[in-house]
Amino acid sequence: MRQQYAIRSLILVAFFVLAGFAIVTQMIRIQSSNEAQLFLAQGSRYSGEFQMVYPERGEIYDRNGHLLAGNRTVYEVGVSLKEMKDPHALVYTLAMYLGLKQEDVYNQLVNAPATWEYVVVQDYVGAETVNSLQGLVKQLNDADNPRLEGIAFKPHFQRSYPEDSLASNLLGFVARDGRGYFGIEEKYNDLLAGNPVQVWVPSDPNKAMDIPRVPNGTTLVLTVNRDLQSKVESILDQSLTQYGAENGTIIVMDPRNGEILAMASTPRMDLNNYSNYFSLYDNGSQYNRSIGIAYEPGSVFKVLTMAAAIDTGTVRPDTTFVDTGAIDVGGITIRNWNRDAWGQQDMIGCLQHSLNVCLAWVSTQMGIQNFYGYMEKFGLGHPTGIDLSGEAVGRLKIPGDGDWYPVDLGTNAFGQGVSVTPLQMLMAVSSITNDGRMVTPHVLYAMLRDGHQYNVPSQYAGSPITAQTAHTLNDMLSTSLELESSQALVPGYRLAGKTGTAQIPTEYGYDATHTNVSFIGWGPVDEPQFMVYVWLSKPSASIWSSETAAPVFSRVAEQTVIALNIPPDVVRSQIVNK
Amino acid sequence: MQGQATQIIHAYRQAPWRVQRQWVGVFLLFVIGAAMIAALYLDVTARAAIAGREIQETRFEITTIQRSNADLETQLAKLTSTEEMERRALALGYRPVQTGELDYVAVPGFVAPEPAILLAAEDVTVPDQTLPSEYSQSLLEWFDQRFKLGGAR
Repeated sequence: MRQQYAIRSLILVAFFVLAGFAIVTQMIRIQSSNEAQLFLAQGSRYSGEFQMVYPERGEIYDRNGHLLAGNRTVYEVGVSLKEMKDPHALVYTLAMYLGLKQEDVYNQLVNAPATWEYVVVQDYVGAETVNSLQGLVKQLNDADNPRLEGIAFKPHFQRSYPEDSLASNLLGFVARDGRGYFGIEEKYNDLLAGNPVQVWVPSDPNKAMDIPRVPNGTTLVLTVNRDLQSKVESILDQSLTQYGAENGTIIVMDPRNGEILAMASTPRMDLNNYSNYFSLYDNGSQYNRSIGIAYEPGSVFKVLTMAAAIDTGTVRPDTTFVDTGAIDVGGITIRNWNRDAWGQQDMIGCLQHSLNVCLAWVSTQMGIQNFYGYMEKFGLGHPTGIDLSGEAVGRLKIPGDGDWYPVDLGTNAFGQGVSVTPLQMLMAVSSITNDGRMVTPHVLYAMLRDGHQYNVPSQYAGSPITAQTAHTLNDMLSTSLELESSQALVPGYRLAGKTGTAQIPTEYGYDATHTNVSFIGWGPVDEPQFMVYVWLSKPSASIWSSETAAPVFSRVAEQTVIALNIPPDVVRSQIVNK
Repeated sequence: MQGQATQIIHAYRQAPWRVQRQWVGVFLLFVIGAAMIAALYLDVTARAAIAGREIQETRFEITTIQRSNADLETQLAKLTSTEEMERRALALGYRPVQTGELDYVAVPGFVAPEPAILLAAEDVTVPDQTLPSEYSQSLLEWFDQRFKLGGAR
């Protein structure tokens, strides 16, 4: 009996040993077979997928925390061809909701290449459309109706500008390729966009922690004051209409640190509809005229000539000059703007009446070396270094250049034969408002990344003149504005500034009918807190700056003192005395 | 008598069924141990899988919420845009202020607050010196420090 049980046990043991051996053998055989790699590949195909993760583009705020550029969710609507059950229903529904032609959608879905598994029907579809489409899909799914099976929605971000066209010349825009064009969007594209990363997303939940976290792009805070920007743009638009000007630009800058508070140019475009770009601009330099276009500024340039002359000791404010209405420089006769002789004038009178003859005399007295040496120190002919893309450098001809002639010393003195951008002028003149130190203009106030704030320090671009010269010029330009009873004045505030009416050079000499009118001014004179540059191109109501650009400056200055909470001079002196 | 008892005990200890039971007991102990380890492993693996799935879902939720935040922020900015606020102000009967209409009051010590977007972030322009030396000094530096301190804390 015991023997019988022993045999049965042995048979069972042998059976299990053989079965085990067979299983192990089969496992080894499969793993070392030719199909092993195929099985492994099949397994790894479902173990996860590579995904390109595009970080959320950094936002852009104004200095008071108002959003200027943000992001909104849009959807890629597509169809998974393998899951598609009813192509006709899909074609009809997608065409109706997405506003497409049925034939086009049908071709996309039904005539897709055999190797395709997924077809994108339309991208950048708004959330409202997708929500209603998703509602319909859900209704059908709930009713176990598979007619719309296969439809897929992939969300992603699209740049959005809640202020539409506000500060468009400054901000630039982001196209569908995800790249920034012009302005801040282009200059700081790498920072804003962050680093797209291709990540492996495993299906295995145990590897969930392996998915790397992709940080968002850097958020930027600008020096721009949104409310002031809006007011300045409004004033610019009104001025173009009022004076019949073709185009214009206005910049407001804090001369103490170079922060751009407002920068307006025409034309502007709705950044949410950037396809209008080609209908508004002939070339990229027109996008932001404040930095992109260099022009002959005319008499506003006299401020720099006078600053150089006083700094070298060539003249003093009370130096007299007898204006005969003409002066010969390099064999060419230079005349005043009205061709009159203004008689004996001191240097304040020369600036007040904007006498070309007087300033040409000043530059010749100063000499070539001094004059061009100072103009170099003022940064003319070089970029200002502002953190915006598309900056033009202008042109300062100097002795030795093939197209420089001796008469240029005289004409350059009153802003003819030299080209600058409005921002270059603002930067150069900032030395007069800032104790002789010239500031580098900038629009970036701070960067925010991973909860940290990185402040952008102010930079100075040298001291072309002494503090004493700066104070003298400040007084001279303030006095000349008051004596002139200029339309640039603002009641309650002592301001300084200079007009500029410039003829426009053409291929055949200077345009006899049109001018560029400019005004550069700042205030309050005892403690300058803002500088304004106005440039209107070809005004038809008047060709004179004193009748066009000067009143525009006054309006901008009024809005600036309100926006920056600058009390009138009397109130400020009372506060200081307390 | 005593010898007989010793023999019985000896026979009992060497009884074949008793040896078999001992083997069966050891085998069962091994099986139970293996089963417990397997159950524990299964439990831990299942918990890890659930936690992993929760992490995946949470990450998905975070992404959805981030999208929603960005959308809401942009919508809010649209509703409070300059144009919209000006339109609403005018509709409520307000008008733009003129320079002569403003009264200025000097408040000693008043500093205009920074915008919320800047207040929320840590200013890294101020160097952070709060990292304890334990996290930065090497073992040799630590020995050196202890040696110089003479073992006193």
